[in-house]
Amino acid sequence: MPTFIPRAALTRIAVSLLSLTLVAGCATPPPADDKESVAEFEQLNDPLEPMNRAIFEFNQVVDRAMLKPLAQGYRAVVPPFGRERVRDFLNNLRSPVIFANDLLQGEPDRAVQTAMRFAFNTGFGAVGLFDIAASGGIPYHDEDFGQTFAVWGIGEGPYLVFPILGPSNPRDFVGLAAEWLVDPLNLHLDHVGQDWAIWTRTGMYGIDKRERYLDKLNEIERGSLDYYASLRSLYRQIRTTEVKNGTVDLRAKPEAEKR
Amino acid sequence: MLNRRRFLAAAAASAALVTAPGHALADQASRDFIVRLADTAMTTVAAKGLSDDERTTRFRTLFVENFDLPEIAKLVLGRHWRIATPDQQKDFVRLFEDIQVYTWARRFKDYSGETLEVLSVAAESDGDVQVESRIKRDRLDPINVGWRVRKHPEGLRVLDIKVEGASMAQTHRSEYSSVIQSSGGQVEGLLAAMRKKIAQLQAESATAAVSGSTKPN
Repeated sequence: MPTFIPRAALTRIAVSLLSLTLVAGCATPPPADDKESVAEFEQLNDPLEPMNRAIFEFNQVVDRAMLKPLAQGYRAVVPPFGRERVRDFLNNLRSPVIFANDLLQGEPDRAVQTAMRFAFNTGFGAVGLFDIAASGGIPYHDEDFGQTFAVWGIGEGPYLVFPILGPSNPRDFVGLAAEWLVDPLNLHLDHVGQDWAIWTRTGMYGIDKRERYLDKLNEIERGSLDYYASLRSLYRQIRTTEVKNGTVDLRAKPEAEKR
Repeated sequence: MLNRRRFLAAAAASAALVTAPGHALADQASRDFIVRLADTAMTTVAAKGLSDDERTTRFRTLFVENFDLPEIAKLVLGRHWRIATPDQQKDFVRLFEDIQVYTWARRFKDYSGETLEVLSVAAESDGDVQVESRIKRDRLDPINVGWRVRKHPEGLRVLDIKVEGASMAQTHRSEYSSVIQSSGGQVEGLLAAMRKKIAQLQAESATAAVSGSTKPN
């Protein structure tokens, strides 16, 4: 019997979140006659702010005690070359999910890029350890179900902070759950009863991500008067850019610009 | 055939010249402005072997001369700008400048070999020009940075920076408004929090300087 039961875990998270909402309560909306305050309240999109802040504080404690030291240790022990191999390998494993989302977003060109990258890197890049496709002119791009839902016109819903996972919203969280459920490699590993590999992969993904954000988050926290509010604003803005494939559009521009 | 094609090309070119010279000039000026700004920052602020004080001073000069600080401050404070007294407004601009200087100047210490490449220049409907650029770094992923440039009587000024799509002005506005809210809607609460933050940043760079002088690495 496989022990990997994400559905059960999701239900548990949902239930504990709900109870937290009940305990922590909602942010008080400003009086309706104060139009500017109302506009600001809506623009912040954070009706569950007290709950979110409580979870954020919890995450900060976990981060300081565990995640950040882990990421710092990883950086100290593994040289940049090794970390690049880990990242390329993990990115390559994401290819099927990225491919599916490219297609679901109606981007066949990008889907072909993803497929070609996966074939090259898996075949000639030592099972994905080396991103040779990027040096060959097909750069990596990321996609996820949250972005696909956005492309389909599904709104983000209120801002939510999840335990450990951090800043999110209902749309992106459902996207994350969908990814967790349909990722072919995870499904296969679950099927053959090698759950340790799923958790190892997830753990490595988390540590790699935290390592990448070490300096950025340090800088943001250092310069912020209200770290929570800064991250909330940054998360929403960056997600919006990602949905529009902002970085990729920019890459395409220099060609069109030649006069 | 060839003649006709040439004629069409010439016609198209002259049409472009007639309709777009104003835009093209403004775009070119904004592009040059950003390229020059990045260049100056790399040669003066990111120069090796500077003391922290010297680096901070150089950054402040560059920042004040090239960014439209009063306008940025107004943008960042949003609706609270109007309820602030003139003294509070003045204090806010000064404190905002300090926070930016102390957070950014330090970053330039680690920069070396970064190069800026302009990807596109586009005029916005309100007359501002948006310059999209990519900063290439050694062994690190490039960063996409967008610059909102506004024409000012004394020349061009930066109004906002977008890092990977996140506007610094919008982020600060959201943050500051949250601080004002938690201090009961009082701008004074924000100013107090800013003063505290600046003292903290100054203390940090002071200890960094001390430990830096005892341990060179």
